[in-house]
Amino acid sequence: MDVNISEIGRSAKSYCEHTARTQPTLSDIVVTLVEMGFNVETLPAYAKRSQRMVITAPPVTNQPVTPKALTAGQNKPHPSHIPGYFPEFPDPHTYIKTPTYREPVSDYQVLREKAASQRRDVERALTRFMAKTGETQSLFKDDVSTFPLIAARPFTVPYLTALLPSELEMQQMEETDSSEQDDQTDTENLPLHISTDDSGPEKENASVLQQNTSLSGSRNGEENMIDNPYLRPVKKPKIRRKK
Amino acid sequence: MNRKKGDKGFESPRPYKLTHQVVCINNINFQRKSVVGYVELTIFPTVANLNRIKLNSKQCRIYRVRVNDLEAAFIYNDPTLEVCHHESKQRNLNYFSNAYAAAVSAVDPDAGNGELCIKVPSELWKHVDELKVLKVHINFSLDQPKGGLHFVVPNMEGSMAERGAHVFSCGYQNSTRFWFPCVDSYSELCTWKLEYTVDAAMVAVSNGDLVETVYTHDMRKKTFHYMLAIPTAASNISLAIGPFEILVDPYMHEVTHFCLPQLLPLLKHTTSYLHEVFEFYEEILTCRYPYSCFKTVFIDEAYVEVAAYASMSIFSTNLLHSAMIIDETPLTRRCLAQALAQQFFGCFISRMSWSDEWVLKGISGYIYGLWMKKTFGVNEYRHWIKQELDQIVAYELKTGGVLLHPIFGGGKEKDNPASHLHFSIKHPHTLSWEYYTMFQCKAHLVMRLIENRISMEFMLQVFNKLLSLASTASSQKFQSHMWSQMLVSTSGFLKSISNVSGKDIQPLIKQWVDQSGVVKFYGSFAFNRKRNVLELEIKQDYTSPGTQKYVGPLKVTVQELDGSFNHTLQIEENSLKHDIPCHSKSRRNKKKKIPLMNGEEVDMDLSAMDADSPLLWIRIDPDMSVLRKVEFEQSDFMWQYQLRYERDVVAQEEAILALEKFPTPASRLALTDILEQEQCFYRVRMLACFCLAKIANSMVSTWTGPPAMKSLFTRMFCCKTCPNIVKTNNFMNFQSYFLQKTMPVAMALLRDVHNLCPKEVLMFILDLIKYNDNRKNKFSDNYYRAELIDALANSVTPAVSVNNEVRTLDNLNPDVRLILEEITRFLNMEKLLPSYRHTITVSCLKAIRVLQKNGHVPSDPALFKSYAEYGHFVDVRIAALEAVVDYTKVDRSYEELQWLLTMVQNDPVPYIRHKILDMLTKNPPFTKNMESPLCNEALVDQLWKLMNSGTSHDWRLRCGAVDLYFTLFGLSRPSCLPLPELGLVLNLKEKKAVLNPTIIPESVANNQEPVNTTNNHGQPVVFQNTFSNSQEEEEIDMDTVHDSQAFIYHHLNMLERPSTPGKEQSSGEVTMHPVSAAPLSVFSKESNSSKHSDHHHHHHHEHKKKKKKHKHKHKHKHKHDSKEKEKEPFAFSNSPASARSIRSPSLSD
Repeated sequence: MDVNISEIGRSAKSYCEHTARTQPTLSDIVVTLVEMGFNVETLPAYAKRSQRMVITAPPVTNQPVTPKALTAGQNKPHPSHIPGYFPEFPDPHTYIKTPTYREPVSDYQVLREKAASQRRDVERALTRFMAKTGETQSLFKDDVSTFPLIAARPFTVPYLTALLPSELEMQQMEETDSSEQDDQTDTENLPLHISTDDSGPEKENASVLQQNTSLSGSRNGEENMIDNPYLRPVKKPKIRRKK
Repeated sequence: MNRKKGDKGFESPRPYKLTHQVVCINNINFQRKSVVGYVELTIFPTVANLNRIKLNSKQCRIYRVRVNDLEAAFIYNDPTLEVCHHESKQRNLNYFSNAYAAAVSAVDPDAGNGELCIKVPSELWKHVDELKVLKVHINFSLDQPKGGLHFVVPNMEGSMAERGAHVFSCGYQNSTRFWFPCVDSYSELCTWKLEYTVDAAMVAVSNGDLVETVYTHDMRKKTFHYMLAIPTAASNISLAIGPFEILVDPYMHEVTHFCLPQLLPLLKHTTSYLHEVFEFYEEILTCRYPYSCFKTVFIDEAYVEVAAYASMSIFSTNLLHSAMIIDETPLTRRCLAQALAQQFFGCFISRMSWSDEWVLKGISGYIYGLWMKKTFGVNEYRHWIKQELDQIVAYELKTGGVLLHPIFGGGKEKDNPASHLHFSIKHPHTLSWEYYTMFQCKAHLVMRLIENRISMEFMLQVFNKLLSLASTASSQKFQSHMWSQMLVSTSGFLKSISNVSGKDIQPLIKQWVDQSGVVKFYGSFAFNRKRNVLELEIKQDYTSPGTQKYVGPLKVTVQELDGSFNHTLQIEENSLKHDIPCHSKSRRNKKKKIPLMNGEEVDMDLSAMDADSPLLWIRIDPDMSVLRKVEFEQSDFMWQYQLRYERDVVAQEEAILALEKFPTPASRLALTDILEQEQCFYRVRMLACFCLAKIANSMVSTWTGPPAMKSLFTRMFCCKTCPNIVKTNNFMNFQSYFLQKTMPVAMALLRDVHNLCPKEVLMFILDLIKYNDNRKNKFSDNYYRAELIDALANSVTPAVSVNNEVRTLDNLNPDVRLILEEITRFLNMEKLLPSYRHTITVSCLKAIRVLQKNGHVPSDPALFKSYAEYGHFVDVRIAALEAVVDYTKVDRSYEELQWLLTMVQNDPVPYIRHKILDMLTKNPPFTKNMESPLCNEALVDQLWKLMNSGTSHDWRLRCGAVDLYFTLFGLSRPSCLPLPELGLVLNLKEKKAVLNPTIIPESVANNQEPVNTTNNHGQPVVFQNTFSNSQEEEEIDMDTVHDSQAFIYHHLNMLERPSTPGKEQSSGEVTMHPVSAAPLSVFSKESNSSKHSDHHHHHHHEHKKKKKKHKHKHKHKHKHDSKEKEKEPFAFSNSPASARSIRSPSLSD
């Protein structure tokens, strides 16, 4: 029985494929049955027989509903440049960062507070460390640890450290130069920027102090032509020069 | 001096004319700090019998002098080395000042004198009679110069160039004689050829055009050849040698800037502005810059911040700054502009005599002022003029007057024009530094007065005329008599003014130039309602020292309801009252705008004013056209109106100062309004902060609301959402930057009813420090942070001390603990991340001293002393020294005073030496009328020695020592000394002891000259007896320079006579050596004397303390001396060449 049924299926499929179709039709099955030696005419009568055994449908057991895959939001629809036939985006949770930490502190006041105390702590720790590891001076004779001052140490070339901007400042300079646009959007600073534009006689000194940035640009081209005695090459001594 | 010759031109005090000078320095040794070279002067005799040539030279060892290739004899005599000879017990300053002026006169080139006197060889006499050219060739060397040339040699590894070692010329007024022999006068012009041979890695910068640079044969050195074709005075010659980085100005290729290694980026930024100054001056003077090139050199350990010389200027390297620095920028630009103004007037145009100095300083200061006006605006300019005026007025009232144009009668010193001063004003070198600063200040103010009189247009025409005359003269290469056109004199200047303007300014000149003193006005007024007249009363005080009577026009501006009106009053002898008719009837109820002086019409709330009077405010001399001090009385509401509505910043500042006396809510409101007004000049707003603090303190019991300025500051600089936190720094707007810096400093001056700084204010300042955030700022916040520390220091009040307990950590006030915490952290952070010019360290040191002074921290100078050591940045050292000076005063510490005085003598940096004396003078440990344990004989002797001989290498320092002596002891004999009679007895005893053969060397050591004579004769001379006698006889209280001069000469001659029998004698301590011995004897004499003065110094000190060991010491000394004596003749007998190799190895290099 089993063999027959599967044979019917297999053959029917072969027939339909033979006729370049994918779905078997009724005629395919008829041909198959004929091939297998069944009398097709008798089939309707067989089906309508009185003592036909009725197999009841299996009782619909409450199948445990397989839990739906966790949907973390709607799958993103394709943007216009992706043809519709491409596969859909995977579920968002597979690629969207899931915030797992507390909401960041965005309160300005708290932030400033934190930055300030953090910097202060770092500075304090650092200076204390430096004071501990080096020579110190003290304001109180009896106590050297509460307010330790790093001992003053003379420099060999004192003007260099005093005049040249420190590396930190240089770094900041570069940062502020590049982030000048961002600066403008800083709401806290905005009113000050606007106020620079007001006029008044004393304004003059402000504008004068603004430094000339176009300086370096104009200069490179001319450099070669400059005739300055200090740039001329040093001459070789003449033979007659004898001291 | 030259004035009586009128405007016929310049007459040289010398019997010859210098036309050209060659300076060749062929060896500079940084290790030994020595210089070897020669000079050659081309001179034309102007009289037939010229047989002596006097030149200036100090410190130089002169080896050899040749005139037209013939060896010439010469004498070296410098009376300024030791002003008062023979260790007399004379200790009064009058005597010293006269002797000092006499000594300076004796070598003054403007009187035809000099330290070096060269005898023209007799072979050339005939030549001279034909007035033919003489070439004077002088070989000299300089070893470890203490003045004139300053060597900076950092103590580290590497070659001199790698170390950044450099040397530069410096000095006060004409000081070129310190580094090469010359005619060191501003009136002797000549052309120059300058040659310097330096290490190949170094650059020599000097005056004129660099013609070429040539390697030496070994290629290890190169020679810089400079030519200066424009006739220039020796005093305007300068030199700087070092491993400089070279920057050609991108706008003007003939301008070159030099700085020390690694500073090039700063140099670029700092000098990027200079071309605008050039353009400005050339435009207003309608004259090209006179020299063909200009050089700026920035060096370390500068003598002064700015020094101008012909075609180059030497600046302090500390003026360099980066683009991030706000505060230094205007200061540096001002220095550059000042230096450039002096190029035109001071270097190119020189002066005829010292009494014409005011013209040059005046003009250069005046055109510098014009530049200020153009660059920084009228407000800044007027503020500056007012500041300068206040300074000069205060100084003159304090000291008794500054005389711009001293005229000296022929030799009669009795009518000394400056008898109120403790120094002579006859020479620049005897002037106190402060006096000279004030002199320059007055000079430019007077120029401004002249401008007021004749208009700026004429003024500039006069300058242009002077310049074009000079430039015509300078191009006359071979007509040296024309060169005197390049010298300016008072009479010549006045003549061109009257030619150009046709106006008579003689009264003005008489009032301000020929006469010292300022005017002091007291004004008050009453309004006469009936006559509708303002009755103004103006009184003058012309009897106090430093004042003079003013007669002439005086402008008064009256602001009435109907507008502002100018009135010119004639101030006459006896009229005190002036009636000024008013234009407006008294108050009308109609609301109407009130017109101001500048045409503006404003609404005013007139409710405060007196209903009967139409007067809003009155100003006396609003244009500052008189050098005066005005004390004017008007009611508080008038000052308030003046502050709010008068547009002149000077008026606003005056009003602010006046309001201090009116602590009322109305004053408070007026000041707060000004503070908030952004159109208002920032300096006025800054001043208002301090006034507000004072008013708040006076009103402390009735003050309502938060501490003054707090809410204002919060509104302006703190975040909108969290008012206790300051915004992150943004200093783009400089006005608010300055205000932000100043407000906390002023707020910290607030006091509550207990006279303590309110806790709220302290916390506020601590919060500012805590929340200070500069990360997003384009500018450095170092000055801001420094001022916050100043604010902390301002908040400190005296500690409550219970029965003088010792200050320890345990009983530290909690507020002070917080302050100390901040200071410690800042000071330590400076070590790791130093700020620009170490401003924060400076503020921290000041704050610590304040804490010490107020008794919170034990008073101890050790910390400051370590910061004052050589090797720290100069600003830090000054701050530390200031604290030590203060400590010396408060704790009356002899030890610290000694420490300071030692530093005055030994510190490598001239500026520090000068500054210590200056600070001691300003904050003296005691004054003449005060009893102090510090005031004792040893100190008198020490200071006397310092000014008498210890500071002969630096005019400024010597005058500083004189100032200090004056402050401590006054003009007459210090009171701590035994009575003069007693002193003489002591003297007698000593001199008696002199007779004792074992002690003879003591008196020998006491005086350099006898040593010399013994050298020459090989045996001790026996004139001590007469010498000591004569000294006893001498009446020591000399009134005049003349007498003292005679006194000195008398002694000197007496000493000299036995030493040089049969030799020609000229006045002064003069020895004429035979030609062959000349080169050596002169220099050995010099070295000898310096050695002896050392011994002597040492000896003297001991003498005071350990009289018991007297004899022993003397014996020892005797031996020592005789050893030296044995050595000397040996050196003498050698040929010059061999002596050279002994004495100066540097020559053989």
